[in-house]
Amino acid sequence: MDILSRIPQLLVYGVISGSILSLGGIGVSLIYSIIGFSNFAYGDMMALGAYIALGLFSLFVSWSIPNTPLGPLSFGFGFILAAIFAIGLTAVAVVLIDRILFNRLRNHSSVILMMSSIGGALALRNILQFFWGPQQHYYIERIQIATVIPGLGIRIKPDQVFIILVTIVLVVLVHAFLKYTKMGKAMRATADNNALARVTGINTDRVIVWTWMIGGALAATAGILAGIENKFITPELGWQMLLSIFAAVVLGGIGNPYGAIVGGMVIGITEEVSTAFIPTGYKPAVAFIIMILMLIVKPTGLLGKRR
Amino acid sequence: MSLLTVNAVTSGYGDMEILHGVSIEVGAGEIVTMIGPNGAGKSTLMKTIFGLLTPTAGQITFAEKEITGLSPDLVVRRGMAYVPQVENIFPSLTVNENLEMGAFILTDDFSGQLEEIYQLFPILNDRRKQRVGKMSGGERQMVAMGRALMLDPKLLMLDEPSAALAPNLAVTIFERIVAINASGVAILIVEQNAKESLKVSDRGYVLASGRNRFEDTGENLLANQDVGQLYLGG
Repeated sequence: MDILSRIPQLLVYGVISGSILSLGGIGVSLIYSIIGFSNFAYGDMMALGAYIALGLFSLFVSWSIPNTPLGPLSFGFGFILAAIFAIGLTAVAVVLIDRILFNRLRNHSSVILMMSSIGGALALRNILQFFWGPQQHYYIERIQIATVIPGLGIRIKPDQVFIILVTIVLVVLVHAFLKYTKMGKAMRATADNNALARVTGINTDRVIVWTWMIGGALAATAGILAGIENKFITPELGWQMLLSIFAAVVLGGIGNPYGAIVGGMVIGITEEVSTAFIPTGYKPAVAFIIMILMLIVKPTGLLGKRR
Repeated sequence: MSLLTVNAVTSGYGDMEILHGVSIEVGAGEIVTMIGPNGAGKSTLMKTIFGLLTPTAGQITFAEKEITGLSPDLVVRRGMAYVPQVENIFPSLTVNENLEMGAFILTDDFSGQLEEIYQLFPILNDRRKQRVGKMSGGERQMVAMGRALMLDPKLLMLDEPSAALAPNLAVTIFERIVAINASGVAILIVEQNAKESLKVSDRGYVLASGRNRFEDTGENLLANQDVGQLYLGG
């Protein structure tokens, strides 16, 4: 098969991994712009969400909550229920992590917060490893047959369509929240000018709690979707994606959640398409090269700062 | 009856003391201007009154209650509003969103107050959906003042409202200040170039090197030769 004929298929894979990167990127971007630091623990927050879903799922199976596959999907009601609870629990857990770690360092520089997030990342990953071990844990054991889209010759699995649809729904929800709710507007105001937000009477501590909850929920969703796509999860799941997520955030314009969506898609697609030309092992290097080029050519990113 | 009383306040940044015992008063419904050279401590005094800096000595009383050392979000709730000199708007938010943020602490409907502010600044009325970051300096200043007025404060503090504005725009801003005052809001203005401001003021203070230097009616300060030579540029 020649290289060019593989590209449409790789584009589809790119959109799938781009979806997961976009969700993570929105979370990293919101935390960066409102709370003010690059959160290196974000990947491990994704893994935390994925493992909470795993734990709840096995609990639900032991309670004999049915999990017969929904339509063409490889999972059923039991797994979706576990995922929804895991997203909520991760949001709460991330707020707790903030109270234990980041909130105590709030008056320090962003470098201190960033360094502490690296410590938080290691701690979180090792806690997961302590309870579940370093080995792969399977979400879904059965093999799903990809559907061929007639005419285009593109193969896509129903689970992958599910990943893209969930991403679209969440992007729309986050957009509506930021644009139309009072708390969403207060989050944008705090990102714009933290000092003025306080002078205006905006309760910035509540804004921070909301930011962590949304960031945590998005992290858990991205982690679970990555688990669905890979079929299995490991404690390294999020850490391995973090570089690509940071690249997506820088590419789109750091601190701009809309840029993170564009950046996530561009990184996801470029990484996948690059495998037509260079070995798959170089995927992270591709993300890194894009990030460096963007920082040299246009450090404000594709969408720049929203001013 | 005095609305705001600042009594022998000492304050500054960290170990650097800027105010060495400053006292001022603002009566209900008054316009008071504080003038003085760069570094006199005018902005420091405003930040201290509003709780952004904690005084090391002295008392601040507002509406008959002590507010010394109270945090800004609580000072706002007591009925005081503050427009900083720079970065006084949310650039990525629209005009309407900026004003809504001014009413953040309200839980009931504030649409009446919103419409009053659009009447006060008609130019903003046509630009409700426009992002403030793309607007001119004068329009930004109006958004900043509108935001501060959303809670219908008893006292509005303006830090250099006409700085960096073209002279004709500065005149417009002072007209609006008089109109705001006519609706019963007391106003404390800090100005470096203060002739326009003193003209509309009931009283004024001259601050120099962190201490009170002169205090008189706006008219008298404008007529005072020493003040004129030293602080109003002759």
